[in-house]
Amino acid sequence: MAKPKRDIDPVEAKTAILDYCKRKGALVAGVADLDAINRICPPGHRPADMMPRVKSVISLGVGGQTQGAWSVPAKALGYFGSTETRGYTIAYGAAFYIENKYGVPSIYCPPDMDPDAGPRVPLQSLKVHAELAGIGARSLAGDILLHPEFGYMYFASVFTELELEPDAPLETNPCPAPSCVSMYKSIGRTPCMKFCPVQCLDGEVDTETGAQKVMRYDMAACAEMTQQFETVPATLMDAMKAEDEAAREDALFDPDNKILWYKLSAGSGGLFAQCFECMRVCPIATKAPMADPILRYDAAREERERAEAMPKAAAE
Amino acid sequence: MARGFSRQQIGITEEMIETFGDTIFRLSHNHQVREGDPYRLKNWDEVDRQRPNMGLSDDQIADKIGLSRHQVLFIRTILERRRFHTGHYPRLLELGGGRRFRAERFTPHLDHFKFSQDALDLRAAMRFPPAQAKKYIDEGWWQGDTLSKWLDKHAAERPDAPAIRHGDRVLTWAQLADQADRLSRALYSLGIRHGEVVSVQLPNIPEYLIAFLAITRIGGVMNTIHMPYRAAEIETLVNHGRSRAIVCLSEAKDWSPAGTVLGMVDRLDSLDHVIALGAPVDGALSLAQLIESDVDAEPQTVPVASDPFLLLFTSGTTSAPKAVPLSYHTMLSNARVGVPEHEITPDDSILSAAPFSHLFGLYSFHIAIAAGACSVMLPVFTPPDMAATIEREKPTALWTAPAHFAAIRGLGLIDKYDLSSLKMMIMSGSACPEELVRWTAAQLPGCAVTQLWGMTETQGGLYSRPSDGLDVSATSAGRPSPGTEVRIADPETNDAMADGEEGELQVRGPLLFPGYFKNEAANKAAFTEDGFFRSGDLAVMRPDGAVAITGRIKDVINRGGVKFNPRDIEDLLDAHPAVVQSAIVPMPDPVLGEKACAFVMIRPDADPPTLESLCGYLLEHKIAKNKLPERLVVVDEFPMTPTKKIIKGQLEVPA
Ligand code: SF4
Ligand code: SF4
Repeated sequence: MAKPKRDIDPVEAKTAILDYCKRKGALVAGVADLDAINRICPPGHRPADMMPRVKSVISLGVGGQTQGAWSVPAKALGYFGSTETRGYTIAYGAAFYIENKYGVPSIYCPPDMDPDAGPRVPLQSLKVHAELAGIGARSLAGDILLHPEFGYMYFASVFTELELEPDAPLETNPCPAPSCVSMYKSIGRTPCMKFCPVQCLDGEVDTETGAQKVMRYDMAACAEMTQQFETVPATLMDAMKAEDEAAREDALFDPDNKILWYKLSAGSGGLFAQCFECMRVCPIATKAPMADPILRYDAAREERERAEAMPKAAAE
Repeated sequence: MARGFSRQQIGITEEMIETFGDTIFRLSHNHQVREGDPYRLKNWDEVDRQRPNMGLSDDQIADKIGLSRHQVLFIRTILERRRFHTGHYPRLLELGGGRRFRAERFTPHLDHFKFSQDALDLRAAMRFPPAQAKKYIDEGWWQGDTLSKWLDKHAAERPDAPAIRHGDRVLTWAQLADQADRLSRALYSLGIRHGEVVSVQLPNIPEYLIAFLAITRIGGVMNTIHMPYRAAEIETLVNHGRSRAIVCLSEAKDWSPAGTVLGMVDRLDSLDHVIALGAPVDGALSLAQLIESDVDAEPQTVPVASDPFLLLFTSGTTSAPKAVPLSYHTMLSNARVGVPEHEITPDDSILSAAPFSHLFGLYSFHIAIAAGACSVMLPVFTPPDMAATIEREKPTALWTAPAHFAAIRGLGLIDKYDLSSLKMMIMSGSACPEELVRWTAAQLPGCAVTQLWGMTETQGGLYSRPSDGLDVSATSAGRPSPGTEVRIADPETNDAMADGEEGELQVRGPLLFPGYFKNEAANKAAFTEDGFFRSGDLAVMRPDGAVAITGRIKDVINRGGVKFNPRDIEDLLDAHPAVVQSAIVPMPDPVLGEKACAFVMIRPDADPPTLESLCGYLLEHKIAKNKLPERLVVVDEFPMTPTKKIIKGQLEVPA
């Protein structure tokens, strides 16, 4: 068993680990409350089910989309999910970093599905980790997490046996944005609800406080739209049931279906999670102050200019 | 299924799936409902209360409803599959880049357009030899042109230029596009769909062209019905073409077309709508109202160049109809290349004496819309109307049959009216007498008189060009249109004949129709093995490349093995002072097989000639004895085609 290095200051360690994550490209990082995770997640999907002596769950977020991405057609935007792998790489690096620096066992939490429960159930909920680490809050868009500064992000988690002080969840939920509340007041729906192409989102907003009242999400419909694994067997069944040669040919070789064969054989391409239409219309995802690289660059420049102006002002 | 277990191993029955399926599905993550924000706020009471709404794990569901975890897993995943309706995913292909989902405008992918069986049958007739199609595409003859594209282009580029003129009524390209668009949406909302046929029986009025452009704008196919046709012909045409609707007049001179059609709808099983122009007719829709209407309908498909857009009938209006399906590829390529050949510019205006129900009439419009020129309307041809329309509207080009102009000459109208606006004229539709062309050219010195040979199956096959000069135009149908291959062949062997020898005119090229619709017998006879269309016309290829049409194969008389073309005899008879018009047809003979019978129409003021006197006249003009007619039938009038050709098939030799 690995021996922890003796004199670990948990506060210093936490700062160093979160700094590491940010240095490597995370926009935000935090530590989730393990007890809270255990209260929320069902047995079999708790951190200790994967790593028996886990003490802390670190969650980090990387940038969602570039500004340009929101203008591309949906069929291409669907492929833009791959920035999430950057998050996983950082988490992977962080696990190495912790073991290397502090000698404490750590893992990067696999974002994958639970082979014991089928393709709609993940091993661990990265969403719950991030929410409890205070780096995102549940939105009306099917509980996609949003951040008031960084908008829409991808999340990754690190489990470690090092005990770190948990952070608190976000104090306020940025969703629904004020403009969404106005829209809700006039048509009874928010942009994500209105523009979801399979109409799987619904909900209620407290028009007095502007807070979420009810979020309803038909995940089955969303999954049908955005995840194609189910289409492969469906296509084969259609082909088996087809009345004649031409119908069989259509079932298997129709271009929409052929792309599935391509994905199966090439092992790449296609949607794995979202169609992004709800996020394309979401003011937080697209217009939060630092939602994309351009906005972040502008924010950083302003910050710099402010800092440069400061000593001058002080000297005067 | 679950982890490789069989249903039997985990104890699953269809009844269990039925009993618990819905509950399991709703308790699972497949449906999620969250009230407030309990996780973020760590409101554990709420988290516990809402857990079943927010989605339970299989274990939790199993515990809650008393099944094993594997049973829940099995039932959940099988339901995920059974509730899976493929067809959502392709929506992605229609969204983004400024296009957002809007429920009220969205047609589910799988409910999108579907061609009707009738439309598919018609498309199946659009079967061109692959090598020919490749050649026409590679060489650029077949392009993406459709009437809608041309219409939209003119409406965008020259919105205020005149597109149609009918007396005081002028429709600009923008107005024409607007009216065609309104009517197309109305037709769409009536259920007319891409590839379906709509019949039109109207005189040459603006509504004809509005209907044509509207029908084709939604991918429909126009079938034309000649104005003289009555119930019997309409029934055959509508049924053979499987028309979904008919556009016709409420009242014609002595009958009600709309009323007639309505009276026989039970015999027209494809027909759903009668659309009438004129006074309201019970049971018919009003064309004028449909054109005015502004229905909020958005057709799902747009026409493309390979689509059929015309279905015209050449003969056999009562049995074995020969229906000619025509695509934009064939017709519009021919029109596009024809514009510079006929020297038509956007500033020209074209008058057609031929009805739009005939392809020659439609060719005038195809040329006009290809060029952006104006179409001048002459609703029904009468010689004085045509002359007066030319004087008043000043068209620069005239599409006419020799018979039309012969009538102008016969009535002396050329001196009474000012026809000097004409810069070019195409005479087509039947054998064109040389002296009529020369006379016309002499009367209209500023006008290039040209000839054209075409058929419903080809549109403009041969024509003389304005620059060819009178000698070519007076004596021939000119040269092939660009891209068109023409040969003169032995009608029996299909071997090419030498220049100067008479044979069958055979045609191939990007203009050629693909074959008759639902008439395999006619198709077998119509094409040679190498894909040439057998026109049935006799012709001679001249050394200068021009082709002179000399007659019809069908008219050839086989008298005891000696075959002759009676055309020169007819020409002589037509020039006889007592004769208005003549036609020579074969009559059966027990000994010789066939003999010639002359049908003649006599001038009212002339003494009727006898067979002997006519034969004497022919002998004087060096006609061989064995070609002389052996019977004379005097008629009051001839059965005529809409382009004023005598229909010889309808001439019956009395017993
Ligand atoms: S990802 Fe697409 S289908 Fe799913 S909720 Fe968002 S908009 Fe709807
Ligand atoms: S559009 Fe975004 S901010 Fe507005 S309600 Fe939906 S998820 Fe929330």
